Amino acid sequence: MSSKINHHHQNDKTNGQIFPQPCPHLADFHARNGTKPFRAIQDCLHIKPPGGRAAIRRDSSEVPRCGVCGDSSCPRLYACMACAAVSCHVPPHSSHVAIHATKTSSACSHEIAVDVDRAELFCCACRDQVYDRDFDAAVVLAHTTSIIQSSKPENLRKRRRIDYRPWSPDLRERSLMVNNASPIDSMSSSNGDLPRGLRGLNNLGNTCFMNSVLQALFHTPPLRNYFLSDRHNRYYCQSKNGVRLCLACDLDTMFSAIFCGDRMPYSPAKFLYSWWRHASNLASYEQQDAHEFFISMLDGIHEKVEKDQHKPRRNGDCCIAHRVFSGILRSDVMCMACGFTSTTFDPCVDFSLDLEPNQGSSMKTSSTKTNHSCNCEADGMNSSQNCGISTLMGCLDRFTRPERLGSDQKFFCQQCQVRQESLKQMSIRKLPLVSCFHIKRFEHSSVRKMSRKVDRYLQFPLSLDMAPYLSSSILRSRFGNRFFPFDGDESNTLNEPSSEFELFAVVTHTGKLDAGHYVTYLRLSNKWYKCDDAWITEVNENTVRAAQGYMMFYVQKMLYYKASEKQGTS
Amino acid sequence: MRNSVNRPPTPDAVEDQEKEPTLQEIINIKMIESGEKEKLMELLRERLVECGWKDEMKALCRAYIKKKGTNNVTVDDLVHVITPKGRASIPDSIKTELLLRIRAFLASAAL
Repeated sequence: MSSKINHHHQNDKTNGQIFPQPCPHLADFHARNGTKPFRAIQDCLHIKPPGGRAAIRRDSSEVPRCGVCGDSSCPRLYACMACAAVSCHVPPHSSHVAIHATKTSSACSHEIAVDVDRAELFCCACRDQVYDRDFDAAVVLAHTTSIIQSSKPENLRKRRRIDYRPWSPDLRERSLMVNNASPIDSMSSSNGDLPRGLRGLNNLGNTCFMNSVLQALFHTPPLRNYFLSDRHNRYYCQSKNGVRLCLACDLDTMFSAIFCGDRMPYSPAKFLYSWWRHASNLASYEQQDAHEFFISMLDGIHEKVEKDQHKPRRNGDCCIAHRVFSGILRSDVMCMACGFTSTTFDPCVDFSLDLEPNQGSSMKTSSTKTNHSCNCEADGMNSSQNCGISTLMGCLDRFTRPERLGSDQKFFCQQCQVRQESLKQMSIRKLPLVSCFHIKRFEHSSVRKMSRKVDRYLQFPLSLDMAPYLSSSILRSRFGNRFFPFDGDESNTLNEPSSEFELFAVVTHTGKLDAGHYVTYLRLSNKWYKCDDAWITEVNENTVRAAQGYMMFYVQKMLYYKASEKQGTS
Repeated sequence: MRNSVNRPPTPDAVEDQEKEPTLQEIINIKMIESGEKEKLMELLRERLVECGWKDEMKALCRAYIKKKGTNNVTVDDLVHVITPKGRASIPDSIKTELLLRIRAFLASAAL
């Protein structure tokens, strides 16, 4: 085996990235060659469209060969940083690059080399890859000079932060609170162990699509806090002067009803009527799509609020619906001929993910496991593809994977000035407070004039880290293993919300496309409750895991109440 | 200069004989010169990402690094560990596709 040299690399964290300390040879190289020894390499790099892989620039007909053995077919060839001699590295057979390193003298160090095909640094003495900020900066600069960057859109300017000011009530406010409030402990104890805010919703005629989404919204932490803290008061709401309807007022009514402690099932008739007036095309007693209802409802809350307060739609500050659910998607379209990239930013209120055929089917491994009995969860690795299960993270991978646009969808490239075939890649520029993942289970084909439902099971985690799907991560992986801060990283990572999310509600669908039923599972104090129209029961976590997820709601971890905190107390 | 008849061949001649390129090397050079190798590499990368092979390898590397500790692993170790599994788990459809492409190239390059 290759001789292992013990690296005492300490890792230090900068900007949330672990940055390894340079090996002694790299440090020596820096010492010998001035402050920016790698900047000159920028001119030697060639960025290959469309993916943007960096490699050492060479004539297209030139064949790189090892200077010692003449081999041109070995997969790793390294060019010495000092003398540009190319050597091969084929452990454990031979490493001519290591031999080359021995030429190091006091005058010149031949220990640092660069991979000819990948533009990555290698220390010949340590026989391992090394990383250097200055080198990565040169790679990024080589990229940016070959790509014309689009101007930063307005909605990404940093928001002004307000200083935190503590508050405690004065005597008058205190007496106001005491006189107008009733203690809640007495009410909750008489209703067994069910937490507050659990109340069944009567089905008013195929309205399970509405009930299921409403149950999820009632327990969306930032939304619940907004309405329960009287931020939208239905008695004082100005939009109701006249006969204009306000969905937010009806929602406020429902929040009060749901959290008042009464356990009898509630009938959301007034809200249904208001919603019908807002979305008249969906007003019928037919079964509707829960996701469509969700979007329509957010739109309704936004519309009515914006009309009054004339707040511009910027950074999602226009209304509570957008403040909670709105994120920003980044779309990059790269020309496959010249590499020119066009970037656009679009707001989104949810993520609609495709449930495509199993990747597992093309990778037959020796173990064949059935869907539900697979113990992939225990491994903690992303080995689910071996078992052939679709997972939420798999869907997100697919969502952010570069996709080749077909020859019938050629994109007009500004650099080439003609329509070219392109590569499109999505990533998330800004995460919302609450992420709603909608799984596209209902396929409507206008070509074949038929619709069908995809029943395949999807595995979803209780905790989700969205970091790999952020624009900063996607961009970083496009450039290879670099440590240079990127366009996506510009905002201070301390002030930005984290990327860790917790699951709190799952809307499931059972049955056929036209004759099905929606049910919501809610996670409160680490217990799961099934909300099936008017019936609420506590269920086992495994029941939820085995259910057919249609919409999954995740909230930022810092907004999620831990199981140890009892609601209504402290 | 008088040369002995029994003098062994000069080192240069010996080297030349060793350096006579094999068929594999000729094909490799022809493919690089025509740019076909670059295209095939991109195609292969695309296919391997699509079928999840790349993610598999990434997961294997992560598991290995977790086991050994981040400071005790070199690139060579990783390559050594995942190469046999990697070669074995390439789907046949991808192998077939690439072989067909190479065969087509050889036919067109009239080798």
